[in-house]
Amino acid sequence: MAHILIVDDEETILFAMGQYIMAQGCTVDTARELEEAQALLSNIRYHLVVADLRLSGTHGSEGLDLVGMVRECCPSTRVIVLTAYGSAEMQQEALRRGADAVLHKSMPLADVADAAIKLLGCAA
Amino acid sequence: MTRLLNEILATDALTVVFQPVVETIGERLQLHMLECLTRGPSDTNAGRADVMFEYVRRKRVEPVVDRACILVGLHAAATLPGNPHLSFNTHASTLGRDPDFPAVLVAMADDVGIDPTRITIEIIEHAHGWDGVTFDRALRNLRSLGARIALDDVGLGHSNYQMMIDTHPQYLKIDRYFVHGAHADLDRRAVLDSIAQLGLRLGARVVAEGVEETRDLMPLTDAGIDLAQGYLFAKPLTAPELIASGWLQPLPATPLDANARPLAACSA
Repeated sequence: MAHILIVDDEETILFAMGQYIMAQGCTVDTARELEEAQALLSNIRYHLVVADLRLSGTHGSEGLDLVGMVRECCPSTRVIVLTAYGSAEMQQEALRRGADAVLHKSMPLADVADAAIKLLGCAA
Repeated sequence: MTRLLNEILATDALTVVFQPVVETIGERLQLHMLECLTRGPSDTNAGRADVMFEYVRRKRVEPVVDRACILVGLHAAATLPGNPHLSFNTHASTLGRDPDFPAVLVAMADDVGIDPTRITIEIIEHAHGWDGVTFDRALRNLRSLGARIALDDVGLGHSNYQMMIDTHPQYLKIDRYFVHGAHADLDRRAVLDSIAQLGLRLGARVVAEGVEETRDLMPLTDAGIDLAQGYLFAKPLTAPELIASGWLQPLPATPLDANARPLAACSA
């Protein structure tokens, strides 16, 4: 069973996406801020991390920090970055740091889940 | 303040469990001290202690959370019979960044009728990044108030020779990494022997953490280590579980008394 971490500062997105992905048979943890996600990643090995690019932190691109941390501490973990505002440069930077995919937050949950399953299939 | 931190610090959010540190006296075991361990709200990520404290360190709020953990620990310990000695995990960064910590600790202990001489401050996570002068002063103040100092996770990371010299601990707690499997590992036994000798020279008692198997007791005995902690003796227990366990009852005067806890019982 895949273990997935969803990181977003919007409670409704955490809940909705968490429910949707759990319905696909995955185990889901959620985090609302960068430090909470980092604490989880330091102690738990996830198959996939789905992270919002912009959390309610200090510089507006905490999701990029998270990508770097995942690549460093657990290279086999897949990463999807979600963004509502990100520029093309920001998306490229996420990919450069090791994100497997950058998706727009307006994308239907079903499509996000499809992308996640495809990535997990690649990781298996 | 962030939501998870608010949840950690909310009234009644933290829970306390106690894990006995036991002393081997001949063939018998006796409670030496209780390590007070805090758990975060069970319905949050902080319900896992490792995640909670990693989060706390990343938010750099160790002083406020350490105070909260010790406060709930003292209140829980005050309900225990027998005036056991207690140890509380405290970040080195708390001692180095919170100059009021010793005075606050004593005030909190006084409020619940616990004498500071019953308290051991167990220094965890010694990575630098705090004021050495404040740290040294905190240790001096704690000692002058009668509290004892323990160095946790000896053998790993920043729990090194420098910290042993800087903190003058009364206890060296050997990390479980060196204890588990020591019965069949000459390298681990060499480390245990070395730390035991170091303890003798430094005037510190040595505690073996993470003892889970009877067969790992032999290398401890061989090294002269008579304090141990781990699931072999007791898992972390709530206050009612601890009271029911019998660990708080003193050993009888005569070692031949049938009620004494024989070491062999641990192999069951």
